[in-house]
Amino acid sequence: MKPAPFEFLAPRDLAGVLDALATFGEDARVLAGGQSLVPLMNLRMVRPAALVSINGCDDLDYIRVEDGRLALGARVRQVQAEESVLVGRECPLLAAALPYCGPQATRNRATVCGSLAHADPVAELPAIAAALDAEFEIVGKQGTRRVPAESFFISELANSTEPGEMLAAVRFERAAAGERCAFLEVSNRRHGFAVAGVALRLRLDAGGRCDFARIAMIGAGPVASRIRLAEEVLIGAVVGEAAIRAAAAAAVAAVRPPIDIHTDADYRRHVLGVLLKRALRQALEARPVSGEGAP
Amino acid sequence: MTDTVEVTLKVNNRKATRRVEPRLLLVDFLRHELGLKGAHIGCEQGVCGACTVLIDGRSARSCLHFAVAVQGADIATVESLGSRDALHPIQEAFHKAHGLQCGYCTPGFLATTVELLARNPDPDEAEIRRALTNNICRCTGYANIVKAVRAAAAMRAVPGRAA
Amino acid sequence: MADRRHYIGQDVLRREDEYLLRGRGRFVDDLPTPTDTVHLGFVMSPYAHARIVTIDVSRALAHEGIIAVYTGDDIAKLVQPIVAEIEFPGYHRHGRDVVARGKVRFVGEHVAVVVAENAYAAQDGIELVDVEYEPLPVASDLETATQPGAPLVHDAIPNNLIFKGQFSTKEFAAGFARGEHVIRERFRSGRVAGVPMEPRGCLALPDHVGDSIVFYSSTQIPHLVRTALARCLDVTESRIRVVVPEVGGGFGTKAQIYPEEFVVAALSFDLRRPVKWIQDRREELLTDIHARDHIYDVEIAFDDQGIVHGLKLSLWTNAGAYSTLPFGCTLEATGGARMIVGPYRISNYAYETHAVATHTCPSGAYRGVAQPTCFMAIEGLMDRIGRKLGIDPAEVRLRNMVPTKDLPWVNVVGVRYDTGSFVESLERALAVIDYAGFRARQPADRLVDGKYRGIGICSFTEVSGTGAPGWRARGLVRMPGFDSSIVKVEPTGKVTAYVSHANGGQGHLTTFAQVVADAVGADLADVTIIEGDTGATPYGTNTFASRSAVTGGGTLIRASTKVKEKMRRIAGHMLETAPADIVIEGGRAFVVGVPQVGLDFAGIAETAYSMNNFGLPEGDGYGLEATDFYDPPLVTMANAVHIVQVAVDVEDGRVEIERYLVVHDCGRIINPMIVNGQIHGGTAQGIGEALMEEMVYDSEGQLQNATLLDYLLPTAEDVPNFEIDHLESPSIDAEGGFKGVGEGGVIGAVPAVVNAIADALAGLGININRKPLRPALLVRLMREARAGRPAA
Repeated sequence: MKPAPFEFLAPRDLAGVLDALATFGEDARVLAGGQSLVPLMNLRMVRPAALVSINGCDDLDYIRVEDGRLALGARVRQVQAEESVLVGRECPLLAAALPYCGPQATRNRATVCGSLAHADPVAELPAIAAALDAEFEIVGKQGTRRVPAESFFISELANSTEPGEMLAAVRFERAAAGERCAFLEVSNRRHGFAVAGVALRLRLDAGGRCDFARIAMIGAGPVASRIRLAEEVLIGAVVGEAAIRAAAAAAVAAVRPPIDIHTDADYRRHVLGVLLKRALRQALEARPVSGEGAP
Repeated sequence: MTDTVEVTLKVNNRKATRRVEPRLLLVDFLRHELGLKGAHIGCEQGVCGACTVLIDGRSARSCLHFAVAVQGADIATVESLGSRDALHPIQEAFHKAHGLQCGYCTPGFLATTVELLARNPDPDEAEIRRALTNNICRCTGYANIVKAVRAAAAMRAVPGRAA
Repeated sequence: MADRRHYIGQDVLRREDEYLLRGRGRFVDDLPTPTDTVHLGFVMSPYAHARIVTIDVSRALAHEGIIAVYTGDDIAKLVQPIVAEIEFPGYHRHGRDVVARGKVRFVGEHVAVVVAENAYAAQDGIELVDVEYEPLPVASDLETATQPGAPLVHDAIPNNLIFKGQFSTKEFAAGFARGEHVIRERFRSGRVAGVPMEPRGCLALPDHVGDSIVFYSSTQIPHLVRTALARCLDVTESRIRVVVPEVGGGFGTKAQIYPEEFVVAALSFDLRRPVKWIQDRREELLTDIHARDHIYDVEIAFDDQGIVHGLKLSLWTNAGAYSTLPFGCTLEATGGARMIVGPYRISNYAYETHAVATHTCPSGAYRGVAQPTCFMAIEGLMDRIGRKLGIDPAEVRLRNMVPTKDLPWVNVVGVRYDTGSFVESLERALAVIDYAGFRARQPADRLVDGKYRGIGICSFTEVSGTGAPGWRARGLVRMPGFDSSIVKVEPTGKVTAYVSHANGGQGHLTTFAQVVADAVGADLADVTIIEGDTGATPYGTNTFASRSAVTGGGTLIRASTKVKEKMRRIAGHMLETAPADIVIEGGRAFVVGVPQVGLDFAGIAETAYSMNNFGLPEGDGYGLEATDFYDPPLVTMANAVHIVQVAVDVEDGRVEIERYLVVHDCGRIINPMIVNGQIHGGTAQGIGEALMEEMVYDSEGQLQNATLLDYLLPTAEDVPNFEIDHLESPSIDAEGGFKGVGEGGVIGAVPAVVNAIADALAGLGININRKPLRPALLVRLMREARAGRPAA
């Protein structure tokens, strides 16, 4: 199919983008990589009257440590983040998950922020963002607000930006010293849309007890979020097989997986438990990072 | 209907200017404005890869870009491979390995292969198959495409600037 | 003589490759179009069953860029309803409007046609056509459509049973009763589709000559399209020339004649303008034929040795909303019922077979046509016999196979197997994959290195090269069956061969050239193949059902032989030698034993075309060409064996293929490289079908997966490397000894992968009788089987 007509604007900076969004309000969509948006436009499921491209906004293209967090501007492409030494060092979980975010051609053009804004609960980045306690910088003409992951993802394919606002940057928690991470997913074919996935960050203290855990899941519910019940099982525990099983059981009890063309809720629930166990075992084998981030 | 805009794209190292609707997809610009018909349309969803070209040296779905939105980028299509008298070594490798049947997906696979070998000149089979998930083929069962990529790597194919 | 002159059997690289690799293949959307070309868009029904109450085209007509809108009533003035031409007891004929009138019967059926100035405007126009529907109750699947009181798809077809056929050998019950054991099973196959990478499209150009059109279509069947267009448009066939451009995959999907083809041609005549239509992927998935929505209820009787004493089948096939052109819905229903006996000596057989109408996309011929499913059934039964009796399933097969010494042999439904290697191919496959070693190492619980590992076999026959008698046996009374060719030596001595086939990626321009070069005695480089053009090639049945090697190869050999004989006569005349003493080879004719005394083809052609002072030999006329029409045997049966090793993940149910072996016998091989390519591609489709592909409709007849995000095709990481071995049992009935190979890959892969998974899970006592086998299903089965045991 071919998309419906629209007006195209290509501002040079964030201020120009916000002006355009303020003018068009609800009738405008931001065009970053377009890899989530344009398929919908080609099916005419989405028909913005105006597309405001940020591809000319150099001020939105940065990967840097800022206020103790790793900040990625809205124009950072997934492949850029994947190949960034800074990302690899500060957010190894993000670096581990990015190769799964789609085929190469999509990752080459899609942006990290764009995929997050799309808020697809079976996409990888929203779950990564939840596991990294991401902070979303939402900017409008009236000002900037920072929204935590829990509030940013409202429901399937909906985020908390209002008309006239855009997601200008995302800030991820940096890996703490001693942190280990793992990312696993399964699909109905070897490489494709995940049916279920687990993003995990874990740290053990000197006594081998877990003092930090972040668990987020793909396909666990309508919105990507941390599975706190499973995290709580691990905190303070020696992470052996018993704790691993208990955490998986807690996760399986907590999730409300969707049913779709690809699989049913029972399978998702079951395999999320399997993946969490595997992720925990894998994280225990992994080399801890020597990061300087919080907590 | 909205107005048309003037779009100037750099394709295969040449600049081309046309007056088009903003909604004109890059793949349609290439095919119908510039007559470069190697990029094919298979889904307009970014899944099949038949429309894959190179944007700034990286593989990209020309069906998911608007021509107006990629001005300033360096676009390379299959037509930039090889010369009048000879196929590019990667094309030659596909030919010798029987790495194509109907040929519809082939330009997309060539773009993916150029990208792969530029970044990983000596990939093993797992790396090749992983890279080839960038495109779908319904005719070959992939076995000979993998062979072709391996042979191309062995020939130490240097993709060159435009490809 | 010099071996390098013999091209058949060689891995000749393809002449098609250069332009395809350069992106210069001319697929239908690549063809240049005149500036007055109009573009069509089709308004599709969003309902599976509904009355069309009103259609308001005013908003569409008012839109810039929209030239006209035709409703079903408008189109009906130009195109008669299409009717599948099947005459078979138990078959209900019914027609189909190419654009629906009054009623729609499946989601995606066309209700109006927008004529626009370009493809983008056509999409705009589609949205502006306002259709009011009155939804009606839906019969969306096999089970519900056949219930008493189910909504009828066609008022005149009771119980939605479009076709019912039956067959029984004499004394069936008595024969069946001689088997001490009986196994019953229901095999369920989910619906799939061919999904070629190139969607369909057509371009109709008014010809410069009078009131004719040249009709380009992404099709496999140019002559059949032309005949159908001529009939339904009531236009003389001579005014339509169908040309096949480069086709981006067919797989049988493009071997149907579709409503859009009639509309594009009709509007080109009506508007006297070029008319173009290119399908998008959503339309492709919604409306291109689906296949293999099948249920096999089988019973097999066997003795303590595992010898089969009787087979009983009740086959149910989902025909969708209409019987399609040209094959109709008896194709799958008869195919599955007739092919199931395969390579086995089963002489007591009874079947009932059905084609059921539902409010879903019509079904048709997709690569394999019911053979992947009927072999899933019979090969699944062979495994079950083995498990029941404690005999290895490979041994069960060997005991039941027709031994090669008994060939030629006529099977229980009257199909002749002229040559074959059923036993040899299975034995070879078992040896190459070290089947005995695998079994020796295989534990009863199948658990090896943390996964359930199994091995699966499919040994099968493969129908190819069907001639007229074969089509008649399946109710297709107007399917020609023959193919034809003209082989011509041109004045310059080069050879042009026209053949009634059409290329969809199989490399015909290369393989047919190999056949002609050998048969006429020319250099390969001097032979050009022309096909896919009804203006240039003689009439034929065209390309599907693995027929091109058999019928195309066959007719080209016969026509080439006639030309060669004429060249012998002319050369003999010119060299004053008896024709019997003339050898023709490598583009030259020379006196036997005296190679320096000869002529090249150009020299002979000069005489034939009256370009010198030589006269012709007595009895011969001018020209140097021959035409041949070749009707092959009822079918030409190829055979093969697939053996697959799989590993099933105990926890997440994912399946990995660890080893894949094919031993294939397609008779005399023309080009081994191309044969292997066909096997690779077909096998990959079969792997997709076994593990991940399924078209899913809900109870309202809505297709749930009309995008490639939701109908999953295998990628390079889902398909293994293949080991392929060949045997050659040349056909003795078919000219040239060729047998087809195009469909073998998918026919063998589906049952072999299913059986391998069944074997892997046999330790848990799980019964595998369906496909696709997605991880969720396998996990559910494993958990149910393990219920009661401690959690892992």
